[in-house]
Amino acid sequence: MTPPILELSGLTKSYTAGGAAVAHVVGGVSLKVGRGETYGLVGESGSGKSTIGRLSLRLVEADAGTIRFGGIDLRALSGRELKRLRRRMQIIFQDPFSSLDPRVRIGTALAEPIRLHRLRRGAEVDQRVEELLATVGLSPAHRHRYPHEFSGGPRQRIAIARALAVEPELIVCDEAVSALDVSIQAQILNLLEDLQRDLGVSYLFISHDLGVVRHMAARIGVLYAGRLVEEGPAETIFADPRHPYTRMLLAAAPRLFAGPGAAPRTEIAGAPPSPFDLPPGCAFASRCPFAEARCRTEAPGPDSYRDAGRRAACWRSAELPPQAAEESTARMSPAFRRRLDLLHTARREALA
Amino acid sequence: MSETPPAQDADTSAPVLSIRDLTVRFGQAAPVLDGIDLDIGRGELLCVVGESGSGKSVTALAAMGLLPPAAQISATRMMLGDKAGDVDLAGLGERQLERLRGNRMAMVFQEPMTSLNPVMTIGRQIAEPLIRHHGLDAGEARTRALEMLRQVHVPAPEQRYAQYPHQLSGGLRQRVMIAMALVCRPALLIADEPTTALDVTIQSQILRLIDELRAELDTAVMFITHDLAVVSEIADRVAVIYAGRIVEEGRRAQIFEDPQHPYTLSLFASMPRLVAEDVSGGGRLAPIGGQVPAPGNMPAGCRFAPRCPFAVTRCMAEVPPLAAPAGSAGDGHRVACWRAPLEETLG
Repeated sequence: MTPPILELSGLTKSYTAGGAAVAHVVGGVSLKVGRGETYGLVGESGSGKSTIGRLSLRLVEADAGTIRFGGIDLRALSGRELKRLRRRMQIIFQDPFSSLDPRVRIGTALAEPIRLHRLRRGAEVDQRVEELLATVGLSPAHRHRYPHEFSGGPRQRIAIARALAVEPELIVCDEAVSALDVSIQAQILNLLEDLQRDLGVSYLFISHDLGVVRHMAARIGVLYAGRLVEEGPAETIFADPRHPYTRMLLAAAPRLFAGPGAAPRTEIAGAPPSPFDLPPGCAFASRCPFAEARCRTEAPGPDSYRDAGRRAACWRSAELPPQAAEESTARMSPAFRRRLDLLHTARREALA
Repeated sequence: MSETPPAQDADTSAPVLSIRDLTVRFGQAAPVLDGIDLDIGRGELLCVVGESGSGKSVTALAAMGLLPPAAQISATRMMLGDKAGDVDLAGLGERQLERLRGNRMAMVFQEPMTSLNPVMTIGRQIAEPLIRHHGLDAGEARTRALEMLRQVHVPAPEQRYAQYPHQLSGGLRQRVMIAMALVCRPALLIADEPTTALDVTIQSQILRLIDELRAELDTAVMFITHDLAVVSEIADRVAVIYAGRIVEEGRRAQIFEDPQHPYTLSLFASMPRLVAEDVSGGGRLAPIGGQVPAPGNMPAGCRFAPRCPFAVTRCMAEVPPLAAPAGSAGDGHRVACWRAPLEETLG
């Protein structure tokens, strides 16, 4: 891993909901996002993944733990210092509309952060706006339009352009492509990859979609009930998951080559525990086919299993049998492969 | 998932839903649905796949008689056939449709909260169609509704019966919706993106449930989705729809082993999970350039032609018929493309 741009350590967040009820949303999460890399954070609704995104930028204040951004202790900063630093970190949401003022033309929306942070002056601002539109594949004429005039894909491009306006080093992508159609999603994912290659921007890429995270991320963290249960290089996590929850998540994802001959699906029962009522031991124990007495009383630390750059919060990780990768293009027919090749070739020729 | 053969093989009787040349237009613009033909047999699950704006939901709403009055609908055939006989859906008035909906055909949506009544207990909502359509008394309806809750695997059904929708998780709400839809044993279930808003583990449970129920109840299912991986898990047959036309249709194996239409291929090539191991794309996703054409701006020939890397002059001018691909055994696989099969036309 490259030196980290973002380093979370022991990050904890809970909310009180009237009276004595406390929701433990994030419980002691530590992770590092390498500079110029993509860190994929996966988990289901309520796992705490979006909260971690917001905590990382101090959009929400943590209860405990440290956040280092480029070596700077974020939680120690004053409001003014933080505001200055915010230029270097941005966030993109699932619904681009939520971050765009419907009454403000695109050009104005893009120029605003440039002026606010005094990145350009006078005519250079307009020039930069055009440059940003071009970077995300839109035309200069689009600056005169309003957000509602764009459909989902172009609108997410605008949100990306706005995030890029301040030349950030880190972008938190919170389900940034989840609402888009596959072909549009593919356009936006390619754009994010290009920007990383050209500008060296780092992503904390939050998503519930395993396929998307696998495609984007070098390293992956899997969240369950506010805790990181497994973390490591994407390839390792997918090839040989060591936490029973990761295994369940991978087994639950629909397979592109199901059908005759595919392995039967494993039954997945139950739901995650309520954040108001977390069990004393491992939060996954009640659903875990490998759980033993110890798991129900003693919570495993995030490092209870370690090997080659990967860790898992499970007492039994080392004993788990290998789990064969579910998705395999080995099941792709020769005719399918041949036509896909033709499509790629035709696309390349059309671009050239 | 269980490997039940397509119903056509098991049952040669008439399809439960049979649609021919369904065309829907709004105002003067080109039709948003243009000549859709569909058949779904008893116990068969047909997946209708396409992106936003392709017309997949319009197809479902047309069958249910739920399109707004502004829609101009025409079809040479729109038949619901079940044990109670054949009904021509196209000729029905609202009151007659109400007698069919929730009774002989039913629909579940992506977001259960939009179709559940927030101020009525879920038990009453499931029991209500039984009272209305089948004339059951309150006690009988309650017994049947509880049975149905058990059948969709809602834990502690007696307690849940008295609860309100907001007290349930997303996954349980979707189970309740399915219970409501199936309680009168409809011959046809239309499910419009029923798992899209759910987490993968819950999605997997709901897919399994739908698969299980259609086998138990012999329900014909039209399952609308944009996710080819979901299709791969549950479909018997698949119809790929683009800009209001079916561009390819076939059994699951035909679509996943022998995809013919460039749009079908493009959908696959946009999927991250496929590209992860795909060498020819260089690890790069291959998005389709451009956008789905708007109804006011439909191309004259093949509607996919402007975005198709294989398109030739003929594609721009002439609409390709939906027909068996050259060299196919003629067993239900159909494609609407002048250039298929690609490896032959490209030499």
